[in-house]
Amino acid sequence: MNKLLQIEDLTMRFGGLMAVEALSFVVEHGEIHGLIGPNGAGKTTTFNMISGFYKPTSGKVLLRGEDISGLKTHEVARRGVVRTFQHSTLFAELTVLENALVGTHMPFRPNIFAAIIGWDKEDRIGAEARAREALEFFGLEHLAQERAGDLSHGHQRALGMAVAYASHPDVILLDEPFTGMNPEETRRMMGLMRALRDSGITLLLVEHDMQAIMGLCDTITCMSFGKFLAEGSPTEIRNHPAVIEAYLGGARHVA
Amino acid sequence: MRKLLLWTGVLAGLIALPHALSFSQQEILVFLVINVLLVASYRLLTLTGEWSLAHVVIMGVGAYASALLSKTLGVYVPLAILLGGVTAALVAVLLSFPLFRMKGFYFLIGSFAAGEIIRLLWKRFRDPFGGAKGIKGIEPMPDFSIGIYDFDFFEPISYYYLAGAVVAVCLWILWRIERSPVGLTFHAVHWQDKLAEASGVNLRAYRTLAFAIASGFAGLSGGLLAHYVGTINPNSFDVEVMVFVLTWAIVGGTSTFYGPILGCVVLTILNEIVLRELGFEQMRPFIYGAIMILSILFLPNGLESLIQKLTRRAPAKASKEKVAE
Amino acid sequence: MLDLLAQTGLNAVYAASYISLIAVGLVLIFGVMGVINFAHGELFMVGAYTVVALYADRHLPFLVAVAAGLVFVGLLGLVMERALFRPLRDNPLGGLVASIGFLMILQAVAVLGFGVRMVHVPPVTQEVIVFSDRIRLPVARLYVIVAAVVLLSGLWFFLKRTRFGWALRASAQDPEAAALQGISINQTARIAMFIGAALAGVAGALTAPLVSINPHMGHSVIVTAFIVIIVGGVGSLEGAVIASVVYAFVHTFVTTLYDGVIADIVGLSLMLLVLIIKPTGLFGSADRA
Repeated sequence: MNKLLQIEDLTMRFGGLMAVEALSFVVEHGEIHGLIGPNGAGKTTTFNMISGFYKPTSGKVLLRGEDISGLKTHEVARRGVVRTFQHSTLFAELTVLENALVGTHMPFRPNIFAAIIGWDKEDRIGAEARAREALEFFGLEHLAQERAGDLSHGHQRALGMAVAYASHPDVILLDEPFTGMNPEETRRMMGLMRALRDSGITLLLVEHDMQAIMGLCDTITCMSFGKFLAEGSPTEIRNHPAVIEAYLGGARHVA
Repeated sequence: MRKLLLWTGVLAGLIALPHALSFSQQEILVFLVINVLLVASYRLLTLTGEWSLAHVVIMGVGAYASALLSKTLGVYVPLAILLGGVTAALVAVLLSFPLFRMKGFYFLIGSFAAGEIIRLLWKRFRDPFGGAKGIKGIEPMPDFSIGIYDFDFFEPISYYYLAGAVVAVCLWILWRIERSPVGLTFHAVHWQDKLAEASGVNLRAYRTLAFAIASGFAGLSGGLLAHYVGTINPNSFDVEVMVFVLTWAIVGGTSTFYGPILGCVVLTILNEIVLRELGFEQMRPFIYGAIMILSILFLPNGLESLIQKLTRRAPAKASKEKVAE
Repeated sequence: MLDLLAQTGLNAVYAASYISLIAVGLVLIFGVMGVINFAHGELFMVGAYTVVALYADRHLPFLVAVAAGLVFVGLLGLVMERALFRPLRDNPLGGLVASIGFLMILQAVAVLGFGVRMVHVPPVTQEVIVFSDRIRLPVARLYVIVAAVVLLSGLWFFLKRTRFGWALRASAQDPEAAALQGISINQTARIAMFIGAALAGVAGALTAPLVSINPHMGHSVIVTAFIVIIVGGVGSLEGAVIASVVYAFVHTFVTTLYDGVIADIVGLSLMLLVLIIKPTGLFGSADRA
């Protein structure tokens, strides 16, 4: 019973356009799973359906056997599936620590009456401890009091993941996590992702650049023009004729 | 320790204040205290990023409810004021269903329409709202004595002390909410609703919560007003009053808790005391309008930005205190 | 019954004509400058007082007074553009607040100049077109209808057939693209503000002999205009005209059947309903949501 996330016949139609058609794949517990494909393959649409931003036209997303498709984003999040964003979507005006504290919303749900009277001391201490733990995990401890908007690009991406991590998720969905990063930042980010996996969190990441995630993922699903194309280990995908064709338009060579 | 001393000083000043004022100034002081609660509650709503034009009408809902409860059902006045606040919060929850399908500009206009409809309903239905003439002869606050001081509520000083105490408690609650994880979540909803949602925040629930709390306190201020002036009508809560609230908030600035309160106090003193004393009776709206324009043009971040400049501390230190709250 | 219907219909046409003048101006300003002019009702009021000053008090010909109202209020619009909306271009809420400040100033000036009491302007003509015993159209109202049709047709021609009109429509659709095309934002803003304000002023001037005038008359005007532009769709001039007609008919009929307050409630509810169901308006495209 290792199937954590099952995507079954997921379909999304925008007007007459078929963005994703009958897509099925399985994310195993404790793996780093990549979802790749050329531009316009429907990766981001799939991502948005899994995370609850879109309601699929048909098909299902099963989390431990429970159908979560069509739930709202916060309901999906409360079941343990948390997403991050492309670019630096953060609370720029808040401090780094406060950003992480927003991430602790689910494990330490605020209670307004307790907050007024002051009976939520334990929760606040717990939330701050968790937030600091998340910052420490991503090496942001020393920046806790900085304004999030003032951080470097790499730190902002790490903070985005720290916010997600702070909520004790089972699955983190990462939307093109390496975009705009230099090789050094990319390398460090990969290390963090492996550490996340080793702490028991399952990762599903969407990436356009195939090379970036070859050495990282345990399993890769490739899609093209809204449809399932191939699945396998990085080596299998690298040598899969259909994938090569989709990426290079027929050229018989992948560096 | 220094903080305690400061607050004791402020308290003593506020208690002594009315004795230094004329009778009409004391009356203005009572209105000022009530308006401080109104504008502070408005700030809570703006925390989630929505600007409503119905806030004053919601205050009126509290005023009408409290007046009617005490007048027709004979509810004890302090309880009626409290229930007025509860009614206002409930009306806000009802209004949230249509209004929170809108955002930004549409919410602004939608709230305006909703508020005007409520006002017209008061105007149209003479029973129980009294029509255009409104409700007259509202029960005053019953007099009582606490040993060292006899409260006689025909005296503005007495009402000032009572309203001041109530408003102080309300401000403390609003402050606690803002500085709590709930307040942090309001900020989150405002600045990045998508990220907040992905962190498990129910956006709709938090927007409604802010709207309901803000409305509840506005309703409370309406109840305080109704039992002080003794007569209310639909025009007591029209868009002109809303314009004043908006002005206080914007001239004061809305990025701090004290900004809107500062705006309310400074503009009220300017309007009621300075301009009135100078005898510019008819010119007051003119000068008021000019102040609005000048402050939005030349002080876009409000009076609070001046205060912040004067009391600037190391930012890291300030935010550390915030977390320790 | 048919008489009543016909008479109410005539009243509605009259109401639709001046409402559409006001609403079209408001939409034009919003479209080009992205700011809600809360002082629009007061511009209407200033137009009416221009007629009070020139026609009623100084006995100049009515048409001269109306023309003066048009130009004067149009110039006021230019002042607003330069002094308020241009510096606050990146601050829509600020523009709103500034226009509220301006509204208070205009009201105060009107009170200082003319007092708070209601003023009545002597009628331009007492003639009435009698269709039948119960169906009548005062000629003064006919003038307003004709003027509105002429002005709106003129505006339509200006927008669709001239270079300035093209520039205006382009910057209403996409200000940045328009700027890249070499259209000066300041110039289109000036034109939009002049025309928008002038239309409100001329509406006030034309209806001055038919209504009671006071410094606070702008409030109900702006509420009506808001309803109309929301129902019509905030970016759409045609929508504003159609919505004016719809609103005028609904409001006039409900007033006749029940009373004015109920009619106001119905109007506002209509607006709220449109906001809930289709915020871009019944006739609007999503040009500038």
